[in-house]
Amino acid sequence: MTTLDHKTTTRPVPNPKKSLITKLNMGTGIILGVAFAFGTYYWLKSGQDMSRPNNVNKVLIVTMFMWSLGFMIGIGAFIGPFRWLIGKDLTPEEELYLAGDGQGIKRYFKYCTDHKVVGIQYLVGVMTLLGVGGTMAMMIRTNLAMPGSKLVTPTVYNSLVGLHGITMIIAMIIVATGPFGNYIMPIMIGARDMAFPRLNALSWWVLFTAIPVLCSAWFLGGIPTGWVAYAPLSVQAGPGMNAFLCTIIIFAVSTAVAGMNITATVVAMRAKGMSWNRVPIFVVGATISVALAIPAFPTFMLSMVQTGLDRTIGTGFYDANMGGSGWLYAHLFWIMGHPEVYVILIPGVAVLMEILPVFVRKPLFSYGAAIAGFAGIAGLSAFVWAHHMYMSGWLPMFNGPFMVTTEMISIPTGLIFLVMLGTLWQGRPWMKLPMLSVYAFLWNMLIGGITGIYLSDVPADNYLHGSMYVTAHFHYTLMGSALTGAVAGLAYWFPKMTGRMLNERAGYISFWLVQVGFQVLFLGMFVAGSEGQPRRVADYAHMYAHADLISTIGAYSVGTGFIVLLWAVVHSWRHGKIAPMNPWGAKTLEWTVPYPVPLTNFPDDAMPVVTSDFYGYGKAVK
Amino acid sequence: MATHTDSQFHVHHDSPEQIGRRERLGVRLLIVADGAFVFGMIFSYFYLKNLNSNNGWIPVKGHTFTAISGWWAIAPFVVVAIIHRLAVRNRSIFGLVSILAVLILAAGMYYQWHQMATMKFMHTNDAGDNVFEGAYASNWVLLAGANMFHYILTLFIALGLAIRHKRAHVNATLETWRQRTAGSWFTWTAISGIALALTTTFIR
Repeated sequence: MTTLDHKTTTRPVPNPKKSLITKLNMGTGIILGVAFAFGTYYWLKSGQDMSRPNNVNKVLIVTMFMWSLGFMIGIGAFIGPFRWLIGKDLTPEEELYLAGDGQGIKRYFKYCTDHKVVGIQYLVGVMTLLGVGGTMAMMIRTNLAMPGSKLVTPTVYNSLVGLHGITMIIAMIIVATGPFGNYIMPIMIGARDMAFPRLNALSWWVLFTAIPVLCSAWFLGGIPTGWVAYAPLSVQAGPGMNAFLCTIIIFAVSTAVAGMNITATVVAMRAKGMSWNRVPIFVVGATISVALAIPAFPTFMLSMVQTGLDRTIGTGFYDANMGGSGWLYAHLFWIMGHPEVYVILIPGVAVLMEILPVFVRKPLFSYGAAIAGFAGIAGLSAFVWAHHMYMSGWLPMFNGPFMVTTEMISIPTGLIFLVMLGTLWQGRPWMKLPMLSVYAFLWNMLIGGITGIYLSDVPADNYLHGSMYVTAHFHYTLMGSALTGAVAGLAYWFPKMTGRMLNERAGYISFWLVQVGFQVLFLGMFVAGSEGQPRRVADYAHMYAHADLISTIGAYSVGTGFIVLLWAVVHSWRHGKIAPMNPWGAKTLEWTVPYPVPLTNFPDDAMPVVTSDFYGYGKAVK
Repeated sequence: MATHTDSQFHVHHDSPEQIGRRERLGVRLLIVADGAFVFGMIFSYFYLKNLNSNNGWIPVKGHTFTAISGWWAIAPFVVVAIIHRLAVRNRSIFGLVSILAVLILAAGMYYQWHQMATMKFMHTNDAGDNVFEGAYASNWVLLAGANMFHYILTLFIALGLAIRHKRAHVNATLETWRQRTAGSWFTWTAISGIALALTTTFIR
């Protein structure tokens, strides 16, 4: 690597206080976004026959994208590219301003490039999404508490199921890599920031613009398709479907940019001495997860683009009368859809693996096996998608091969278990709040994993598909495992992100309410599903009444537990005990910097040099 | 008014070389994402072509584009990728080549737009809605749209390189890296263009 270019330039630097950058923020973004949206809506509407569904769809889709574009212009996202275009790159002073230098709380409402600010923005965003999605879950369960319930109409119920699904999927995809991948990960690898700070801000704010778009689905008649949005139903659905597909397209852009940024950061910006076998396991997991998302999500985006074209300009990708096929949608959706499960799962597991050695004070048992487990899961996940299509009638002769590849995922998953159990073996765990989640994960993932094997088995799936059994299975893997990992990460890194300790008593109460309630909720659902209760149906036969009532009781326990956790987070953030620099005695680099973490994370003359792995507890440093 | 030197080059104190390498990696990762999208389109094309459900692949009246028309639409990508590569090696012609690249891409964009404006397999039905005749038509318009997206993005990059060339206040080392990184994108647009043009040669 060469040193600096010593050619001196004498370009005058404009005063940042008079620069346009200083005047733009979330408010200007919203104003311009709304102006763009309304302007587009009324301009397009005036020239269209709005009694035609295609025209309505066209106007709404363009309006939603223009909101997003307007917001991004209004918040200043395109200043950098525009300045690049005209050959006037941002000055260091302007870059410092964008990084939020000395701007206090205002920087959280600006196009701020500091990775720590983006991490907090993601954290608040994720908690909001989980709150909204969780509220919808409680409405679903309340409606299912007893047969014949009329809390919501069947149409509203369908929308609740679909919007709960997509809200939670979005939240879960970013739940660990968003807050911790942005705030903690760069410090963990000894970097000063993410590889592309402006794109980092872009990924968050683009995602932010998707939230009102998704919410607008409620006011446009909802989505009747569930989160999978199978075609041709999604092509024929009402205007709310436009909100769904615009959300996915916007989210896919955000994910691609974020995934590229995290991967580039880890590959190119690790501290001196941090060879690949010394990278913290959370960083490895997060990187494998986002690297998997980079090629997977564009196919999801493509399926939505095709749905949008079918709905607006009269193409026929999914219309059999026009030479299209619903199977095409299923392929494109599930080619992304199954890797997406691991995009969610792997970072959560990696958080737990990061925590485990710290609280057991033992080295991670077989770092290599952990990486092989993650890589094996990620690699195999690209070859299993058609197990979601066993019952669709698509090429039955392929059912066998896809059953085999799916069941093979048990092998790398077994490695993950081996590493965690091996680390626990003969250890004397320090039973703090983050550590509890490790045990919860082992239990939940065991149930989620084993029930998944039944579903991957063609004869068993013939009976179980489309039932509550499936719903219970994927909640065990996504919520019981990935979300449990993310909550553990919150408890573990809360002191570094906020400077305060998370209220431990409230944390314990929340943990037990959530985990016990979770078992009651989803074990009850397994029973109902095994007996044949179909999912995505607002009402059910009396024979399922006991199981559903038990599930709903469990759901209320889970909901109460999360409210307690939310209180704990908000209260501790404001009034919690001041945290020491390294409350857990951990060895990774993020615990070597003070709170508040300086803008460049490490002083110029004290950049970290890594001389051993980070899990050398109870052994001599190599 | 203040001045700055290259020792203050980047807010996080990175050298132009570091930034250049990083940007090249980032662009290549974005190419992977775009590649997945392009692969998905090609998959859709051949999937529906071979499925030919309800004999609905070819438009009812048989209107299709000729196989060669797809190649004309992407030829500018190939030309720009080649001349850009030459210009990076021979810096004395970079200014001229970058302007030429902008003109070629603008012409290609116009040609792609013209094709889309004159496609014969779209008509308006009695109810007033647009209808694309057959799955070939649906796929063709998607592929053309993808080419158009590539044209817009590539034209932006080419225009930026042309404007920035020889500007005094642009860091020379970093600019060289960025020109090479742009080359990665230009090469990718040529490859994806060829793949899409090759796809549309399989009509029936």
